[in-house]
Amino acid sequence: MPLVSTNRLHKFFGTNHVLRGIKLDVEEGEVVTIVGRSGSGKSTLLRTLNGLESIDDGVIEVDGATLEVDRADASALRNLRQKVGMVFQQFNLFPHLSAGQNVMLAPQVVKRTPKKEAEEIARRMLERVGLAEKFDAFPDQLSGGQQQRVAIARALAMSPRVLLCDEITSALDPELVNEVLGVVRQLAGEGMTLIMVTHEMRFAREVSDKLVFMHEGKIHESGHPQAMFAKPATAEFASFIGSLN
Amino acid sequence: MMTFSLWDIVRNLLIGGALTLLLSLVAFALGGATGLLVLFARIGKWRAPRALAQMHIELFQGTPLLLQLFTLFFGLSLFGLDVPAWLAAGLGLTLFTSAFLAEIWRGCVEAVPRGQWEASACLAMTYWEQMRHVILPQAMRLSIAPTVGFAVQVVKGTAVTSIIGFAELTKTGSMIANATFQPFLVYSLVALGYFILCYPLSRYAQALERSFHAAR
Ligand SMILES: Nc1ncnc2c1ncn2[C@@H]1O[C@H](COP(=O)(O)OP(=O)(O)OP(=O)(O)O)[C@@H](O)[C@H]1O
Ligand SMILES: [Mg+2]
Repeated sequence: MPLVSTNRLHKFFGTNHVLRGIKLDVEEGEVVTIVGRSGSGKSTLLRTLNGLESIDDGVIEVDGATLEVDRADASALRNLRQKVGMVFQQFNLFPHLSAGQNVMLAPQVVKRTPKKEAEEIARRMLERVGLAEKFDAFPDQLSGGQQQRVAIARALAMSPRVLLCDEITSALDPELVNEVLGVVRQLAGEGMTLIMVTHEMRFAREVSDKLVFMHEGKIHESGHPQAMFAKPATAEFASFIGSLN
Repeated sequence: MMTFSLWDIVRNLLIGGALTLLLSLVAFALGGATGLLVLFARIGKWRAPRALAQMHIELFQGTPLLLQLFTLFFGLSLFGLDVPAWLAAGLGLTLFTSAFLAEIWRGCVEAVPRGQWEASACLAMTYWEQMRHVILPQAMRLSIAPTVGFAVQVVKGTAVTSIIGFAELTKTGSMIANATFQPFLVYSLVALGYFILCYPLSRYAQALERSFHAAR
């Protein structure tokens, strides 16, 4: 059984039909990269997976937590979100809290983890992203790359079953991109289930088990990245690759 | 005719000043507490409380404080309620303060970027957990300077209650001025009294503003 599965997923923004029947299965430990042109619905798809965007039809299932239209009440959402972590393009660290407190907050508040234990978790997570020494630093004292790594640690501290990453290197200066990709590569190596949207095509080809090409709100083509790049099955994906270089 | 020494004048003004200070403190404390409730109603999900809060804010922001006091003072007595001046003054200023503070604070809550809501939602926090641990701490930092700034308005606003006969600083001043025939001296002292109350507050607001800009 897949860890993440969506079926018949539809989303409208007003009259704009943004997701048009998405069926996506992600196995445990799989790394899935979603690519596609701007406006094709990549971010929207990711955001529906943890209920940041409501859906208008269909069903989302993550590790037994189900989200359906009309059944997206607060407890269903909370249940789902405990299983799905997310990292954003803009980091979104809490600026009034230190790096360590950023990571500790949700375990303490949501999981009622005692402070001491939460602190241990936070130290472990920061070490995992190579920032053990930055526990007491505030977000505005960190570089973009460091902030993004703290954001990853913050998500990991809730022990999510799957991590969503929406263009997490797009806001970074080029020289800081690799330190963040390095952390993602390491997570993939550890068997973390990842669903990401990225423009780093070389990286996507290297780490992904599955590539998903979105076009006009649908999954237009998907498969193994090497195979897809070697032999695009649709004209749209071929033209998308063409536009990359 | 009775004669007044300077000390007589000052002593009476000090009593009036103390009442002004007391009224300001009460209005600010109660108005702040009410304002917080109005704020949560105004930004909450429920429609009826939201509409009510909106009405409350528009009513008290959209009419002169003087008329609010008149309405309370004379209006309630129409219903046979005998409202003493101090009660009408305290109630009126509290309602006035709550409307303005709710609106100031709403601006601060809304100034917290949407990403903060989204990031905390992704961590499975509930609305009140988000509010308490993520949104309000940031909004509070933003609100300190404008809130202290508004406190100055409240202190000066208390002068209006003299019209319904509450013997705060201004009312005391006008009574003494009438009795002593020294309006210039007395009103200068009254003005000095307000200045002494307000100046530290506005300096404090400025200092906070500056330290906030320096920190970000
Ligand atoms: N909150 C919103 N309100 C209204 N329309 C939206 C909203 N968010 C996205 N859209 C619209 O939905 C469509 C898909 O947007 P989405 O952000 O999912 O695209 P994307 O594939 O992530 O694009 P990009 O590569 O530019 O990030 C676009 O037409 C966009 O304008
Ligand atoms: Mg996007």
